[in-house]
Parts: sequence; structure tokens; C-alpha cells
Amino acid sequence: MSTPKNDPLIQVETTCGTLLYELQIIWDEVGETDADRDEMLLELERECLEVYRRKVDQANHCRAQLRRTIADSEAELAAICSAMGERPVHIRQSDQNAGSLKEELSKILPQLEEMKKRKIERRNQFVEVLEQIQKITNEIYGSSVSISSKTVVDETDLSLRKLEELHRQLHELEKEKSDRLKQVQDYLNTLNSLCSVLGMDFMLTVDEIHPSLGDPKGFTSISDDTIEQLATLIKKLLEVKIQRMERLQDLATTMLELWNLMDTPIGEQQMFQNVTRNVAASEHEIIEPNTLSVDFINYVEAEVSRLEQLKSSKMKELVLKKRLELEEICRKTHLLPDSDCAIEDAIEAIESGFADAATILEQIELQIAKVKEEALSRKEILEKVEKWLTACDEECWLEEYNRDENRYNAGKGAHLTLKRAEKARALVNKLPGMVEALASKTMAWEKEREIEFLYDGIRLLSMLEEYTILRKEKEQERRRLRDQKKLQGQLIAEQEALYGSKPSPSKPQSVKKGPRYSTGGASNRRVSLGGAMMTTHKPDSLHPAKATPKTRPSKKNERMQNDHLNHRHDDATVFSAIRRGLDIVDTPVRKHSSTPRASNAIEPESPLLARKPFSPITSAVSAKSNTTNMLEVEDNGEKSHKMHHQNNDLPYATPLKTIPFVDEENRTPKVMPFPCTPSTVSVPMQTAMTPAATPAPIPFAITKPVEEIEQSFEERRLASLLSKTQITTSYALVRVCAS
Amino acid sequence: MTSVHPLPVPGRELANPPTDGISNLRFSNHSDNLLVSSWDKSVRLYDASANILRGEFMHGGPVLDCCFHDDSSGFSASADNKVRRIMFSHGKEDVLGRHDAPVRCIEYSYAAGQVITGSWDKTLKCWDPRGASGQERTLVGTYQQPERVYSLSLVGNRVVVATAGRHVNVYDLRNMSQPEQKRESSLKYQTRCVRCYPNGTGYALSSVEGRVAMEFFDLLEASQAKKYAFKCHRKSEAGRDIVYPVNAIAFHPVYGTFATGGCDGFVNVWDGNNKKRLYQYSKYPTSIAALSFSRDGRLLAVASSYTFEEGDMLHEPDAIFVRSVNEIEVKPKPKVYPNPPA
Repeated sequence: MSTPKNDPLIQVETTCGTLLYELQIIWDEVGETDADRDEMLLELERECLEVYRRKVDQANHCRAQLRRTIADSEAELAAICSAMGERPVHIRQSDQNAGSLKEELSKILPQLEEMKKRKIERRNQFVEVLEQIQKITNEIYGSSVSISSKTVVDETDLSLRKLEELHRQLHELEKEKSDRLKQVQDYLNTLNSLCSVLGMDFMLTVDEIHPSLGDPKGFTSISDDTIEQLATLIKKLLEVKIQRMERLQDLATTMLELWNLMDTPIGEQQMFQNVTRNVAASEHEIIEPNTLSVDFINYVEAEVSRLEQLKSSKMKELVLKKRLELEEICRKTHLLPDSDCAIEDAIEAIESGFADAATILEQIELQIAKVKEEALSRKEILEKVEKWLTACDEECWLEEYNRDENRYNAGKGAHLTLKRAEKARALVNKLPGMVEALASKTMAWEKEREIEFLYDGIRLLSMLEEYTILRKEKEQERRRLRDQKKLQGQLIAEQEALYGSKPSPSKPQSVKKGPRYSTGGASNRRVSLGGAMMTTHKPDSLHPAKATPKTRPSKKNERMQNDHLNHRHDDATVFSAIRRGLDIVDTPVRKHSSTPRASNAIEPESPLLARKPFSPITSAVSAKSNTTNMLEVEDNGEKSHKMHHQNNDLPYATPLKTIPFVDEENRTPKVMPFPCTPSTVSVPMQTAMTPAATPAPIPFAITKPVEEIEQSFEERRLASLLSKTQITTSYALVRVCAS
Repeated sequence: MTSVHPLPVPGRELANPPTDGISNLRFSNHSDNLLVSSWDKSVRLYDASANILRGEFMHGGPVLDCCFHDDSSGFSASADNKVRRIMFSHGKEDVLGRHDAPVRCIEYSYAAGQVITGSWDKTLKCWDPRGASGQERTLVGTYQQPERVYSLSLVGNRVVVATAGRHVNVYDLRNMSQPEQKRESSLKYQTRCVRCYPNGTGYALSSVEGRVAMEFFDLLEASQAKKYAFKCHRKSEAGRDIVYPVNAIAFHPVYGTFATGGCDGFVNVWDGNNKKRLYQYSKYPTSIAALSFSRDGRLLAVASSYTFEEGDMLHEPDAIFVRSVNEIEVKPKPKVYPNPPA
């Protein structure tokens, strides 16, 4: 008991003493009995005791309360510490008395407060991490767990270890998320390129999978579902791409082949360079946008089909050309082309896809080869036939000419006609022999080959036979006419004797008619022209005189000479004008070669008499008009029709024969009606050019008309060299004219 | 043997010319080497730009034609009926084979790797020079011709054979069994020379009567309509024409124009497409026997050598001139008027 504390107690005691004293005084005054006084004093003492007891109880209670609080706090502290995984540093050692209870409490409480604060902090950390985990998980595994649902933190374990664990988890999740993001981005890139190559809208495609994928900035779905869908889509598109690529490459290959086949110009090819470039590319090499889009493939497809069409049309053209060539050869060799493979059929077959153009082409080529081969075997006979037909033509002309009573009238070109007639007569005399030779040749041919020799589909032998019959008939007719004329002459003589002379009735008609026929139509003009040249040709070849081939009169002289002598068929007066003064001459060749066929084709259909005005009156016509038996007429007419047509048609059908004369520079002697070897042609040329009188400068003086062998300078030189070394005398004989 | 020419001789004359008529001369495809065959039984190899005689090879008879194989070897056709190969570097020669008559002309086809010879024995023969020596090894084929072969020309796989009797046969080297085309010369007189156009569409053919025909292979009417013939190498004297043989044709390798050489001693350059004469070189001492453009067309070798057109007589010495060619002389000029008034 310290003094300061005693002080109030003393005061209390004093107060009590004074109070007691006061009470004694009061009591004394009141005069209380001692018993009352004792009782009162006892009561007072009891009451005081009561108060003391109560206060002790209260204090005791308070102490217990305090102790519980401390224990509670300690327990809480311990719990928190354990939850936080920390050693409870401040746990009180029971044996170690740290002082009064209040002290203890005051010590614990701030600790507790501190721990609580830390716990809340920790909890917040947890919540934060957990929320993040939750969020990422949701992103990854889809929104099966609602994002808004409150995260539940396990209050019992808030240790750092746990936190760390959670952090690790979060980290992992974050990594996964970034991985997935990357994957998705990869997928999206792939998808983008695929879409661009395939010509699809990327945004649209992506939106179908997840609307978020299209947005480059914002949130991107990375759920399993999305990734899976993306992968599937990519796989699908890749398949489409490969499929299209193969299609495109197929097309490109076809295109290249077609180009190659048709020599397509580079310019046209350039447009599809981007297609053909990818012919051998593998899938990943094709990255150019739109290369595999449907539109583009359609575009390429269209081009290929266009090329195909072009090719087929070209094939068709080729078939047509070959076919025409075949027909041309057939026509030239007077063979009838196979009717079973006419152009129309072939074209139809190609168009209907029934036959391949290539096989048809092959067939035709085979045929061409066959026909060519046959033509070769027929050539000899055909040449003879040509000659014969030309001769027949001349015969007709001669007949016509003979009928013209005005024929000896001197007029323009009369000398040409005369010459032609002279020549024609010689030719006609040779005709029977010619026919006979031809027939025997043909028979030999037929025997050898055991097929009939057909000339434009008609058997040549029957043609010849008909001709012979016709000729005989004509002869008879002529004889008959002669008799009749004689008779008429007698009659006229008798009439003259009776009534005096009279002009002959037949004369004026024939005078007018005859010449008109011979020069009437354009075709006849051509005939007579050709004939004129043919006749001029003859005297040329008959001329024995000879001069150098290298000298010739200059142009003016030439023309004059032509007018006078008519020796040079070379510069026939009609055509010399064209060439005169031009050093280089353009020569139209065979311009007419296409025309004869047409007229020939029409010919058989036209009635016999339709041709009459433009054709010389042939034996067939006269025979018809003169025969009495109608049946025979029909027969004759028909029989001779073919002949007539053959003969008559010649001027039209064979311009080849006349045209060579038109231009001597480019003529083709093969088809000349008269066999004319170069040497024999050239010899008369020389005579024609230099009349012996003019002493021309002759650079090449060696002209020995005796020799006919053509030799070049080199051959002569060698011969000369040999003769020099061998000293032979044959030299003079060997030296020949250069041409 | 130098004679006096009043005229400036165009081009540089090569030293050591052959001592008898020159039958042909040809530039190499790889250099300016010039191979010359002659009636003096020799084949000579010149370096035309350096004017050096590189080699001389003597044969058993006059040499009528020669051609290069490459720069180290060539072939010759001789009047002793033999076809020879000449190795320039070794100075060696071997006989590829023989004909039954003098061999008139020879060509080497780079396309077929064959030597083609034409002879007066009326055959064409193809030889494989790679075959071992001996006729049965080297001979590829013999192809009968209608007459003696006078001239021969190659372009690509085409062979054009001109013979006596004015026949012209066109062959395809890949199928020699028969002529692709049998033609007759459009000219009326003996064929002197035939040369294919460098573009392979046809050939030019010259005759002894001062004319050249321009022909086309294509038998279509449109192509045949293009063919024509023209007169050249003629002289008008005292009112009459003197007509000279056209001995040689040579196409310019770049422009496709061509030079002709005649017995008048003139060399003319023509533009076949525009039908114009581009140039006439001044007269050479005697007949032009052969012509050849160098590979780039910058040089023209001219053989001025009497070709026996008037028989055995005195004549100017044989000479080879190499002249440089100006572009203006050989470049085609666009046509202004269809035909300038003569």
C-alpha cells in the first residue's frame, strides 16, 4: 500500500469515523438504546459487506471477461496466422507471465489488428488472382461458368504458397491463352491467305465461326470450340484449294498444249501467264490473291474452251483443206473421189463427236497417198488422154472452121487461123492412131491392175469406143452430105439452065453464122487465141535455121518482127504489151484453174442443146438432126452427150493448157498439149530471134545445130580438158550449144 | 600474170589465186576463212581478212565444188568422181566415196549432219562423214535424178536439185525416198545456179539466158502467185540485146537480198521482195564464176574467172576479190513506186 493510495482510504476511514461519531452523537441525543445501537451498527456492517461482496464479484467477472477476450484474440490471431501460413510469433508462453491481463490484451490487440489487415490484403490478392484465373478459364473453356459469379476464396488457406500456386496457375493459363491467341492468329492468317487465293470474303468466313475473330483490335475468341472450327475450316478450304489448284493446273496444261499446237501468239499467251506459271507449282506456292477464285477458274475455263473450239475448228479446217487437196488431186487425175467420205459427212462426224478429227485427217491423208500413188500409175495414160482430148477439140474446131465458107477471106488474124487449121488437119489425121494407142495402153493397164480405167468416173475404153463409133458415123454423114451437095449442085445447074442464075440460098446464112461462133463467146476467144499460138508454135519448131540463143532483137524490132513474121510465140502480140518495158514481171499463174471445175460440174445437167449458141456445132448435133430414126437419135444423143461434153468442155475445162502460152516465163510445160523438151523449144527460139542477115555480136559462138545433147559449160570444159590431154578428135562433136 | 585494168578493181584481190578457172568459193560460217575450189585441181583455204593463203590441197582432177564442214575441215567435189574430206589443220584428206561421173556440186547439211553431192551420173548421194572411211560405211543413200545434176542448194531440211533438162527436184532431207516436189524450171534455158532463200520459203534459179526466176515452195495458189522471173546481165548494143549467163547467186545472210554474177563480169545486188536492183558493182575483168557473202554479210567474195562460156580461148587471169559491203548496197529499200519509169 502506497501512501498516495492511503490517502483517500484514510479519508474514507475518517469520513466513516466522523460519520460514526456523528451517529453516536445523534444517537446520544436521540437516546437510542444500546441494542438498537448494536443492531443498527450490525446492519450497517452487513450492508457494507454486501457492497464489498458485490464489487468483488463484479471484479471477478470482469477478470474472466478479460481473460476470455485475450484467449479469443489469441485464438483468432493463431487462426489467422495459420491461414496465412505464418508462424504465430507472438503466441504467449503460458508459463511466462508477461504481466497483468490488461497489458497482455493491449499487447495482443494491435497484433491482431495488424494480422487482420494483412489477411484482408492477402484475401484481396487471392480474389484478384482467382478472378483472373476464372476469367481466362472462361475464355478458354467457354462460358460454362458465368463470369459474374463471385469467386469463392478459401479462407482457411491464404498462405503465400497457395498464392504462389495460384499465380503459377494463372501464369500457365496466361501462357496457354497467349499460345492460343497465337494459334488463332496463325489460323486467321492462313485463313486470310486461303480466302484471298480462293477469292472469298475473309471477314464473312470468319464471322461465321465467331464474330469476335473479325475484329483485329478487340477481344478474340480463343476457345477450344473456335480453334477446332478454325482448324476444320482451314482443312476444308485447303482441300478446296488443292482441288481448284489441280483443276487450274489441268486447265493450264491443256492451255499450254493448245498454245503449242496452234502457235498462239505471245501477246495472247501473256494474258494467261499467271495461269501457266503455276502449272508445276505445289499448293503452298500459290499465294497470289484470286488465283483460285471461282471467277478466275471460270475465266480460264472459258479461255480453254475457246481454244478447244479454235482447235477443233482448225482441225476441221485442216480436214477440209486435206479433203480439198484430195479432191484437187482427184480432179487433176480425173479420178472420182470416194463418195463415202465426203466433206459434209466428215464435218458432221466431227461435230457430232462421232469421229475424231485426227483420225479423219489420218484417213484422208491415207487416201491422198493412195490417190497419189494411183495418179502416178495413171499419169502416162492421162497424158495421152489429154492429148487425145485436145486433138478432139481441134477436130471439132476444124469441122466448124471447114463449115465456114468465108474462111479464106483475108482478115485480122486469118493467117493464124489458117495455120491452126493446117495443124489441126495434121492432128486429126493422127487421131485414129492416137485412139488406138490409147486404147491398147488402157487395156494393158486394166489387165495389169484388173480394174477399169475410169476418167472422171467414166470408163475410158467406153469413151474411146463411143468416139470411134461417132467418128464412123460422122464420116458416113460427111459422105452423105457430099452426095447431097452434088445432087443439089446438079439441081441448081438444072434450074439455072431453066431460069437463069440465082444466088445460092445457103451462102449468106453460113457466112454470117460461122465466124460468129468461132469468135462469139469469151471462151471461144480464148480457144482461138490459144489455137493461134499453137499454130505459131508449129512453124517455129519446123524452122531449121538457127542462131545463138543469147542474142535477140531489141524490143522495138522484136515487135515489128512479130507483126511480120509471127515467129515468136514467146512475145505473142497480145501479151507483149504487158511486159514491154518492165524488167521484172509479175506473173499471174493459173488464175483460172478454179473455174473449169464449176462449169464442168454444171455441164452434165444442162441439156445438150443449151450449149449450142456458144459451142461449135459438133458431130453429135449434126448427127441428131440428120438421123431419121427417133430412137436412135435418143440413143445417139445420149451417147454422144458425154463425148460432146468432154470435147466441148475443153476450152473451159483446161485453161491450164492455154495459160502456159500466155506467159512463157512461168509456163509449166508439163501440161502443154505438145511434148516439148526444152532443147527443142529453145532451138526455134533462136531462129526466130535472129534472122541470119544481121551480124549481131555473139558472145557465145558455139552453136552446132547438129548436136542435141544439152551440156553445161563445165561439162564442155571437162571434155575440152580431156580432149587436150588425150588428144582425141571427138572434141568438135562434143561441143554443143549451151542450151 | 598481172594485167592492167583501167578501171579501179573493186575490192581487195587475194594473193596466190588458183591457176585455172575458179569453180566455187565459200565463206566459213564461223570466220572469214574462204574455201576455193578450182579447175587447177586444187582446193585452197584463205584467210580473207588477212589475205593469207592458209592451205592448198591437190586432187586427182579438177575440183568442181567445195564446202566447209567446220573451221577445221571441209569437203570437195571433184571431176575425178570422188568426194573428199579435207582436214585443214593436218593437211590430210580422205575419200568419202565416189560417183560414177564427175561430182558437180556438194553441200553440207548441219540439220542432217550429212554431206550431199550431186553428180553428172544423174544421182544425188548423201554421205555421213562420221562413218569410218570406205564408201559402204559413209554412203547414206543414192537418189536417182532425171538428168545430170547442175546445181544444188540447201535450206533447213530442204534440198533443191537443179539438173540438165531444166528439171528441179525438191527433197526433204528427212525423207529422201522420193522428191517432195518435181518441178520444171520456169526458165526456158539451161539452169546455171539454184540458191534457196535464207528464210526457207523458196529458191532463186538462174539460167544461161540472163534471167533469174524467184520460186516458192508452197504450192498454194497464193504463194505461187508471188513467183516471178526477171531479166538481168544483159547488154543492149547496136539495137540488139546480148544476153549473158547468170553463173552465181548469193543471198545476204542478214537482209535476204541477193547478189547475182554473170558472164558480163558484173555483180548486181537485188531486193527480191521489192523487185528492185539495189546496186551494181563496177565491172570485173571477166565472168563472175562464184559469189559468197561472209557470215555477217560484211564481206563479199567475188570469183572473177572465165567460165568457159565461149569455149577454149584466151581470157583474163583468174582472180578472187574480197570487197567490204556497205549497208546501203544490200539493205532493202522500201518500195516507193511500183515500177519507176524506165
